[in-house]
Amino acid sequence: MYSLIPHIVNGLTLGLLFALIALGFTLIVGVMEVINLAHGAFFALGAYFALATIGGSWFAGTEFGIWWSSLSPGARYASGLIFGPLCAAGAGMILELCLRPTYGKAPLYGLLLTFGAALVIEELIRLVWGTGEQSLSVPQAINGAFLMGGLIFSKYKFYAAAFSILAIFLVWLFLEKTPYGAIIKAGSHDSEMVRALGFDLGKLRLAVFAFGAALAGLAGVIMAPIWGLRPHIGIDVVIPAFLIIVVGGVGSFWGAVAAAMLVGLAVGITGAYAAAWSMLSMYILLILVVGFRARGLFGRKSALEN
Amino acid sequence: MSNKKFSRRSLLTGATAAVGGVAAFAGPWKHNRAYAQASDKPIRIGITSDASGQYANSGASDRRGMLMAIDEANAKGGVLGRKIEFQHLDTETTAATGSRVAERLITREECGFLVGAVSSGVANAISQVAQRYGVIYLNTNSSSPTESGQNCHRVKFVWDGNGTNFAKAAVKNSIDAYGKKWMLLTNDYGWGHDTAAATKKLLDQYGGEVVEEILVPQGTRDFSAALLKIQQANPDVVAAAVGGDDQVAMRQQVAQLGMGSKPAWINNQQDWPDVYGLPVDNLFGVFGTTWYYGLDLPGVKEFVERYQAAYPDTAMRVPGNVFYNGYMATRELLAAIERADSTNNIAVIKQLEGHKMSAESRMQHHDAWIDPDTHQVQQTVYLATANTEMGDNKDDMFKVLTQSAPEEVRDEGAAAACKLESYDETPSFDA
Repeated sequence: MYSLIPHIVNGLTLGLLFALIALGFTLIVGVMEVINLAHGAFFALGAYFALATIGGSWFAGTEFGIWWSSLSPGARYASGLIFGPLCAAGAGMILELCLRPTYGKAPLYGLLLTFGAALVIEELIRLVWGTGEQSLSVPQAINGAFLMGGLIFSKYKFYAAAFSILAIFLVWLFLEKTPYGAIIKAGSHDSEMVRALGFDLGKLRLAVFAFGAALAGLAGVIMAPIWGLRPHIGIDVVIPAFLIIVVGGVGSFWGAVAAAMLVGLAVGITGAYAAAWSMLSMYILLILVVGFRARGLFGRKSALEN
Repeated sequence: MSNKKFSRRSLLTGATAAVGGVAAFAGPWKHNRAYAQASDKPIRIGITSDASGQYANSGASDRRGMLMAIDEANAKGGVLGRKIEFQHLDTETTAATGSRVAERLITREECGFLVGAVSSGVANAISQVAQRYGVIYLNTNSSSPTESGQNCHRVKFVWDGNGTNFAKAAVKNSIDAYGKKWMLLTNDYGWGHDTAAATKKLLDQYGGEVVEEILVPQGTRDFSAALLKIQQANPDVVAAAVGGDDQVAMRQQVAQLGMGSKPAWINNQQDWPDVYGLPVDNLFGVFGTTWYYGLDLPGVKEFVERYQAAYPDTAMRVPGNVFYNGYMATRELLAAIERADSTNNIAVIKQLEGHKMSAESRMQHHDAWIDPDTHQVQQTVYLATANTEMGDNKDDMFKVLTQSAPEEVRDEGAAAACKLESYDETPSFDA
């Protein structure tokens, strides 16, 4: 019998990575009530822009390119970590502008539009970066492995998990402790009331979509060195992200985090003891949670439903 | 104005007669289909390759190989004086889509031949439809032993080496070199299971031991649980039958942990598109392939140049095994039509069965032939590893270690399991 503890540790780190993936998705669903099927495409876009930034491929051969390649890998990686999500945010803003005619109509319109956008972005990635596998390099300090309890663990994965904790904390801080966060939360609860109080709902939606897309892009930059990078990588993201927000309760920040941890543990532990069930385990978890509590773990009945 | 009314019975009778009449001419199930008799009509090939899903990247490479063969044939004036046309539909690395695509290409696009596959599940689905219509189908790149074994068909020809061929080339030598305690890491679908079964059988035969098999679902992106388990079990060798994007993710994660050299890794087959462009430390272990662009054989250099001229913009600067199989399969199909002097499917099948191909024409070390009992191409199998001394040529990623003659690695199990349909059971038509 294998020791369970390393697999629990592994499941928890995996859960933190899932939480990072789901954060932007839950934010957009919560405020906009749009199931953003382009979330995975923003994830991929963030990673690809980071790749271009870190590698400096776009300005190779120029004086700036020579200066850029002389920078330390750490500095270029940090730039990619900023620039990748920023570009994803820009793409998110464009998509939000396209989405505007669908507001107030049946949810299917938004769903179809974001699905179409995902296909377009994926194809653009193919055209710009090619169809092949890409490798996003990381600084030596967070690369490689370390020994713990006689077993080898990946340094990068623990770095990614720690980064996820930081990102979750900062997003929580933003939502809970700033006036902007208060407006976003109010918008997710009752957007019409927010408009009635004089806030520009259009700007709010644009900002939330940009923020959600940036978080997706950030997750892409962090996950690419683990999952690899290819144009259709976004498909790997949308389903777990959607599942996590349903398990956690749509619109609930801590619900998404808790659900991601549960999904990570389920996948990690079944991966050790019944590996063939590891992918299926998250769906079984979904059935169990939704079967007992249709609103998900932390989902609450809206005040408007009373 | 007539007072005559249509009764339900007369309407049904009329409709049945009309459908029957159309079917008599256009129905692909009918023997000797008539629509393609005109000699100036193009020969239409349906390309059934993945453009999305786990094998999207390999599917693109496979497709480029087919298209280069078609372009070369058209540049020489076509086949039997007829132009070759193609229609590609995405099989999405999904068996159900494969069936649907095959049905559409045959019945609506009027394709007389189907070419392409990377996933064995998709290839099996396509071949069932193709057999029903008698349409020749070339499985270019899927490697499950069942494709030329229990799932063989009279219309299907398998061009890649299979899991057993590669296992035969690798298992005995690896037991001697690394040890008897093996762990299997298996993609949880047809090709993975069949390849693992072939490896287990050979381990039994040569005195190896399977300590555990880890089944990895398709679409797995995180291998950390499996890799922890491998560390806990501490085997001498891990035999991985993991393909496509799953394999890329696995390679990156094994390399991150520095586990590439201990335990020893045997990858049943390594498709070129899955590793092209990856850092060389991701290319650990020993793996099988049927062709490599760096083979020092006549014709290889010119083949690479033709590829580069045909695809100057592709990110993959040199062709790999998947492209090679797509090209060779299509080229041999067109050559078989020429030899048959007909597009009649049965005549072309007979030209392909038992056909011998010289080592020179295939740019391999040994002559190859199409096994008439299984319809699998019996060919040279190479074992390779990462080329850590590649120097400035970043494309020179493989170092070929050994080459096995086709008869040394023949899959007898497939030959015993394969029961081809008779010619009479196979619908006949002129494409």
